[in-house]
Amino acid sequence: MSAVVAPPSTSGWATAVLPFVLALVAAGIVLAVAGHNPFDVYRLLAVESFGGTKRIAATLSAATPLILTGLATAVAFRAGAFNVGVEGCVYIGGLAAAYVGFTFVDLPAPVLIPLALAAGFVAGSLWMLVPGVLKARLDVDEVVTTLMLNFIAISFTAYLVNGPLLAPGSANSATPMVVDAARLPRLMPPSTLNIGFLIAMALLALYWLWSNRTALGFETRIAGMNARFASASGINVPSLVIKMMLLSGAIGGLAGAIHALGSVGRFVAGFSPGYGFTGIAVALLGRGTPVGIFLAAILFGALATSGATIQLFSDVPIEIVNILQGMVMIFAVARFGWIFARRRTAA
Amino acid sequence: MSVTRRFGSVVANDSIDFRAQRGTVHAIVGGNGAGKSTLMRILQGMDRPDEGVVLVDGFPTVFFGPADAFDRGIGMVHQEFMLVPGLSLLENLVLAHEPMLGLDRIDRTRALDAAHALEAQAGVTLDWDLAVEDAPVHVRQILEILRLLYRGADVLILDEPTAVLAPAQVRELIVLLRKLRDEGRTILFISHKLDEVLAVADDITVLRGGKVVGSLPAAQADKAKLAEMMIGEILARPQARPGAVGRPVLNLVSVTASDSRGRAGLSGFDLTVHAGEIVGIAGVAGNGQDELVAAVTGLSRTDCGSIRLGDVDVTRLSLRERRALGLAFLSPDRAGEGLCLQATIAENTISGHHRRDEFSAGGTLKRGVIARHVEALLDRYAVKRGSSTLPAASLSGGNQQRVAVARELYGNPNILVACQPTRGVDIRGIAFIHQCLLDYRDRGGAVLLVSEELDELVTLSDRIIVIYDGRVTGEVRRGSAEIDEIGRMMLGQAAA
Repeated sequence: MSAVVAPPSTSGWATAVLPFVLALVAAGIVLAVAGHNPFDVYRLLAVESFGGTKRIAATLSAATPLILTGLATAVAFRAGAFNVGVEGCVYIGGLAAAYVGFTFVDLPAPVLIPLALAAGFVAGSLWMLVPGVLKARLDVDEVVTTLMLNFIAISFTAYLVNGPLLAPGSANSATPMVVDAARLPRLMPPSTLNIGFLIAMALLALYWLWSNRTALGFETRIAGMNARFASASGINVPSLVIKMMLLSGAIGGLAGAIHALGSVGRFVAGFSPGYGFTGIAVALLGRGTPVGIFLAAILFGALATSGATIQLFSDVPIEIVNILQGMVMIFAVARFGWIFARRRTAA
Repeated sequence: MSVTRRFGSVVANDSIDFRAQRGTVHAIVGGNGAGKSTLMRILQGMDRPDEGVVLVDGFPTVFFGPADAFDRGIGMVHQEFMLVPGLSLLENLVLAHEPMLGLDRIDRTRALDAAHALEAQAGVTLDWDLAVEDAPVHVRQILEILRLLYRGADVLILDEPTAVLAPAQVRELIVLLRKLRDEGRTILFISHKLDEVLAVADDITVLRGGKVVGSLPAAQADKAKLAEMMIGEILARPQARPGAVGRPVLNLVSVTASDSRGRAGLSGFDLTVHAGEIVGIAGVAGNGQDELVAAVTGLSRTDCGSIRLGDVDVTRLSLRERRALGLAFLSPDRAGEGLCLQATIAENTISGHHRRDEFSAGGTLKRGVIARHVEALLDRYAVKRGSSTLPAASLSGGNQQRVAVARELYGNPNILVACQPTRGVDIRGIAFIHQCLLDYRDRGGAVLLVSEELDELVTLSDRIIVIYDGRVTGEVRRGSAEIDEIGRMMLGQAAA
């Protein structure tokens, strides 16, 4: 029986796919005006992202951090907290994992990798402690606090890698490389696709189980929809908000750790190309469901990988791909009004 | 005017028909849910009548919103003041209609001249440079009224204007309103405080259950007559019932609590509810019912006094902790607190019980057990539903309330705090819910029943506690002849 704890039927696939279609149409007009055949460009994009095993591996690799940041955002949304601070958690978690990776050089991989991932997980989680507590206990708007913490995280990590943690003899703002034992094993060398993708998929499955099968997931959903009702039914809403903010930060930190250990191999200033912010679009476009988050992350991952190569094989400038990406985001975020209306009734 | 307004199956205004003469103060009285607010929303253009028209100076008029109503000379002072904090009194006065100096500056001299002219007209003096948030509440209210005059309002609607005022300030307000009336303005004065109504009004219209009970000149009215009109005749004549009451399950000792504005809501309130009885709380809305419910449920903190559930002192415990001790709470705000309308019917039925051992193990929900339980419970309460997986919003008001009652009575709570249990519920639903409460009582349950439906209180209660201004003014036992005195007690008068 799926009677209890299944999300109420949403308006189905049509509205889920609509933002993407609208974005394609709008970007198609832009392409046509700029003198390109939109269908050719889209076919090229599709081929570059999904044409062949190597391309698919590259797309999945690019989608991995987005699955995690989308999941991190969705977890907080569930509890009614609009966490826009996942980007900061990516930085903090990435640095924490890299630190473990180049410091405990003597540990074997089966110990070092979990330890480094755990460091990112915990660091990201702690980063969200203050905004979580402020929201739950003092009703401080989490949008403001988490957004501002992003700038602190980016600058704080930049300071550390320019000073105390700068690689000896290095001129650019980066930590030393992590040892090989700390690198995440690759699934399909030479592709950068690594076990981080499997971890992200496992977390998506856990998220589904959590939101559909557990008492805590149920309470989170109810509290996110109507906090007054949740409190009146005896659910401890403030404590729930703190827990979900910590979990959100933890998953964001893990995204940073996987990016550091899997792709970059160390922490550098300007570490994340906005994974945390794209994660917001992923969560919104994916409507907070595991399958939706996966598909939205694949979409943005595909745009990222094909964008890098498309300008090598055509005269389409990369800016067009960026415009397309931006348009999908705008149409995805058009659901903002709905989220905020919900927040208001909850308050 | 004669208007009808329905919300779904609920008729909020049923052929309301009354006439306010120019140059008079016309009071509209009635309890909560009598239809006053809907009527005022229609006059402000925030709501449209389903039937009927409003006539202004003999012309049928449809208002397209507060600004449109204003253009026709009708302005309103809301209960919650509509002033902009951070601006001075003067700036708030001229807001949106500022005399300008050039294109970008307020002509302070002209604004001040206008302000002084209004002061003289109203016979008051204000410190115009004071920031709104530093002004005492009665000054803010005077400012709201002057602002309506500044913008040329001819008809002033005041919604519960005395709710926030001290007695001396109420007298000042009455003087001001009389002065405005004598200048030819029309004032609609909405209140349920009969002393003030009698002091200020020329004519009085009484609403009850969305209908006009009567309109009469104030000269022909007295408090007892108005109270009878407001409350209605008590039809129920229940038999006395042997007092088979058990141990005390709820005990309040000299509880004092403030309302949301920080004023005393309950003063030294004592109350005991025993197992196997229904104790009703009767009173005109706003006399401490909300604070009593908040104190008993733990939704807000009390200032002093102690609250016990059974043998446990719960004064400092939260609603969650009190629920664990056997408290159940049927919220008066069904849409905002009693149910989560976007969640499924099933989720609404199980919420709060989902952590019981029978429904979850180790934090994992037993979905099959829950689904069977939900279906059985909803069937027992005859909830008409398409499927339990639909949002609760898909149910009619009466069926929504059945879901809430089913959930709250599940698991044999020691005491149920039931607030307005049948508000907006159809007649069959009312009878059903009443029977649920009586059955629960007969099984040894205790009910604290807060209702504005006096007939409901009389029908169900074994004892009725009458409150006025946060204090107990009387207690009436089931079947006692004193039932006819309840109306008087609700107005703060001792029983004759």
